[in-house]
Amino acid sequence: MAEPAALRAMRSGDANVGTSPTGRLRERDAIGSSIAVRDAVKRYGSFHAVDQISIDIEPGEFITLLGPSGSGKTTLLNLVAGFQSLDSGEILVDGKPVHNVPTHKRGFGMVFQSYALFPNMTVSQNVAFPLRMAGVDRATAERRVAETLEIMRLTEHATKSPSQMSGGQQQRVAIARAIVRRPKVVLMDEPLSALDRRLREQIQIEIRDLHRTIGSTILFVTHDQGEALTMSDRIAVLNAGKIVQIGRPLDIYRHPIDRFVASFVGESNLIEAEILQKRGSTLTMKSRTGYVFNAESRDTIDVGRATVLVRPERIAVSNEPTANSAPVSVTSAIFLGEILRIEAQMEGGEPLLIRCTDMADRPLPTVGDRLHVSWGAADCWVLA
Amino acid sequence: MTSASIGVQADRPADLDLVRRLRDPALLLVPALAFLAFIYLLPLIDLIRISVSGPSWSSYFERVFAIPLYWDSLVRTMQISVTVAGLCLLFGYPTALLIHRSRGLAQALIATAIVLPYFIAILIRTYAWMVLLGRNGPVNKLLVSIEILSEPVQLLFNRGTVLLGMTAVLLPLMVLTIYSSVARLDQSLTRAALASGAGPIAAFWRVMLPLTLPGMGAGFLLVFVAAIGFFITPTLLGGPGDQMFAMHITQQADSVTSEGFLQALGVVLLTITLAVVAVAGRFLGFEFIWGGRKLTEATPGKTDLRAADGSRRSLGASAADVIGWPLLRLFGRLPASCGTWTVRIMGGLVIAILILPIIVVMIISFSSASYLTFPPPGFSLRWYEQFFSDSNWMRAFWTSLVVAAMSAGIAIVLGASAALGIVRSSIRGKSAIMLLLVSPIIVPPVVLGLSLYSLFLRFDLVGSVFGLAAAHAIGGLPIVVVILSASLQGVDARLEQAAAVHGASSLTVFRLVTLPAIMPGLAAATFFAFLHSFDELVLTLFLSSAELKTLPLMLWGDINYRLNPVLAVVSTLEVLLVVAGLVLARPVLATSRKAT
Repeated sequence: MAEPAALRAMRSGDANVGTSPTGRLRERDAIGSSIAVRDAVKRYGSFHAVDQISIDIEPGEFITLLGPSGSGKTTLLNLVAGFQSLDSGEILVDGKPVHNVPTHKRGFGMVFQSYALFPNMTVSQNVAFPLRMAGVDRATAERRVAETLEIMRLTEHATKSPSQMSGGQQQRVAIARAIVRRPKVVLMDEPLSALDRRLREQIQIEIRDLHRTIGSTILFVTHDQGEALTMSDRIAVLNAGKIVQIGRPLDIYRHPIDRFVASFVGESNLIEAEILQKRGSTLTMKSRTGYVFNAESRDTIDVGRATVLVRPERIAVSNEPTANSAPVSVTSAIFLGEILRIEAQMEGGEPLLIRCTDMADRPLPTVGDRLHVSWGAADCWVLA
Repeated sequence: MTSASIGVQADRPADLDLVRRLRDPALLLVPALAFLAFIYLLPLIDLIRISVSGPSWSSYFERVFAIPLYWDSLVRTMQISVTVAGLCLLFGYPTALLIHRSRGLAQALIATAIVLPYFIAILIRTYAWMVLLGRNGPVNKLLVSIEILSEPVQLLFNRGTVLLGMTAVLLPLMVLTIYSSVARLDQSLTRAALASGAGPIAAFWRVMLPLTLPGMGAGFLLVFVAAIGFFITPTLLGGPGDQMFAMHITQQADSVTSEGFLQALGVVLLTITLAVVAVAGRFLGFEFIWGGRKLTEATPGKTDLRAADGSRRSLGASAADVIGWPLLRLFGRLPASCGTWTVRIMGGLVIAILILPIIVVMIISFSSASYLTFPPPGFSLRWYEQFFSDSNWMRAFWTSLVVAAMSAGIAIVLGASAALGIVRSSIRGKSAIMLLLVSPIIVPPVVLGLSLYSLFLRFDLVGSVFGLAAAHAIGGLPIVVVILSASLQGVDARLEQAAAVHGASSLTVFRLVTLPAIMPGLAAATFFAFLHSFDELVLTLFLSSAELKTLPLMLWGDINYRLNPVLAVVSTLEVLLVVAGLVLARPVLATSRKAT
């Protein structure tokens, strides 16, 4: 795919692009800021919306705040944006405290769930707005707007009014407005949740590519775990006003810290089991139903009972018993296209969710069928 | 089942067609339209007919414009109305912002301070200003005590008090109109402006102000149109040099000789009002009158409008660029708290202006003095005793209750069926019909009273309770139609479909789903229609007789002859009535605000 000229110019750090009188907008500055939140607290009455959150975000990082509604993710974003003020704690951008700086002087870009395009302005006027507010001269502003519109493939819509555009186009305008100043930090508040699935996936990719191009630090809020996994450098999972776990998508998915993260991110089987023996980081465990298996764990766990996470796609299924397999009976089986989603019961009645790829020699099981399942030590993760 | 119904259809297709026609909800519009045609349109047409019945069609109008008294008065009316609308806009906008920006209890209190006066009779609010500014009133007392004045002076009966009184009376209308356009804005727009680097003042100037411009326009025009027809406030607060046009009509109405000339005066006032509304409706859409949204879906002319919008916007934008940006940089230097404090101070002033007179009057009603003075020398219930023991006051009170109850009954029956008709039918010209139903709001009451007077004379209705109730229902009907069509539109059509799918007949659906959903609206509409009639004075001045006196009429007579604390008692009772009504209607208002 041919890359727009403007995009190439941006990536090569073309120094003559957008030199403003204040020098604020020089291209080589357009690398993200670090953000540090320290012991941030925001209360509404007795409700702690944000409860002692601390997080360090690297320059240029794409970080996602993931959590159910009411978990405090949007409040945290609003605190960083400056729409709400901290009850205690501090927020540092590039090491400088900003929590007493008003929003409009923080110099961030922001994309809103409702797009929030100014209905009284055209597309290009919307995109030019942050530049005008920064006092950029007209010629420079026009050139920058044109570049940004080209990157977002909106050039032919420049003179339209936002209400004449589709949801996806409106959101691209909103993104253009957020990045036109090459801000060091871009905040995104569930920007894709109003779009349908296909558009959402398309714009997810666009945002990721854009992030690589402009190098800003992106703080992205979503309740969609799939979105978080595909887009982020790191994910911070929030629950009840606290960060439960922070890490790379793969780590969050494979090694969740507790039941909440395990069940909120991806589908999961959580099996209660007794620890029989420990050898290195490998535990030998026995489930309530008597199935004995090995599992990988952190070092800290040794005896007693524990919850074991087994992802549905890690379970091996066969029609005949194999070495160390357990029998299950099928309670439901759904054909989802490339995979089968099977719900089954182990012999003690414990439910088990299985996802396996569709294969020619595997007919769709019917309710009541007996199957044999097994998993290896590396396929399980022992939770605290 | 299908075969049977097909059989029936084949047998009697004509009957079925008739049944279908009789079930058309559009028929529900007929009673209200017939009512308005007879008691509202017909008299107005008659008024116009008489006004052109002179030797030549224009002879009466020539007389109106030939006499300097009337021409001057017309010019003065325009000046006063524009000034009042301007003042209302200037003070109303910050107040609307103040409501929008405050939260929780503060918001509820401020909103109540605005809404409460809105429902109190103009007569009573004007009376409160007379008390406040009178020789023994608190303002004079205060000025003397801090030695700005050496002795009390006459503060009343000049242009200043007329402007103050009219602005105070009309401010709630402005605030509520602007508030509805401010509240409708997506809150994240302001946030987006802030996040884009715009300071609070720039965000207001570039985003908030342009987007609320239509609301400001609507508020300005509504206040202007109301002010043109104003009669009570300028009569009571103005001096001889502050005569407004509507006042001439009531003065001339007593003399028989001015037949034709009188009607011409009315037609002039009506024409100006309608012309302003027509021009405003052309730009804002006629929905501005009732503060609603378009009833009809996408109109075919929409794309043209949009294109026109585009060119106008770019013109406006370039103007804003030339003037706005330098100004903005200048303002941008001001500390951000300037804007906040402007809003707070002006909003606070407005609330004081709206609430203080009412409080003063309520305190004076408990005065022990036999004349109006503030602070009262002592407290007693003597004026309450006098009010409740005076048979004239009590008779007027009961007359008002009966008339208001009947009027509310007429308005609610006609209005509810009309609202159903307009929301549920699919006839063409809905906007025009809605406009007709709501138009009595904008016709100056003086003109309406004048036109009804000849109708009532002809049918010998002057002084009849039913006639008066029907006349009051002309103004009650729009209130009911607006409230109920809004609540009907708020009814989730899927709920009704769900009930129908599960076997409910259309009548059952109405009883079990629709009626409960609009019940709060119905209650509010009934109350407001009742209050409209209970407070009505101008029509009553034309249509009552010596035997049929309502409470506002008694008040009017007493204010003109003797200004004693009994009036304060009546005012206090009215305020309590409105407060009780608002408390009862509070859940309704809360939900309807969510819906609109």
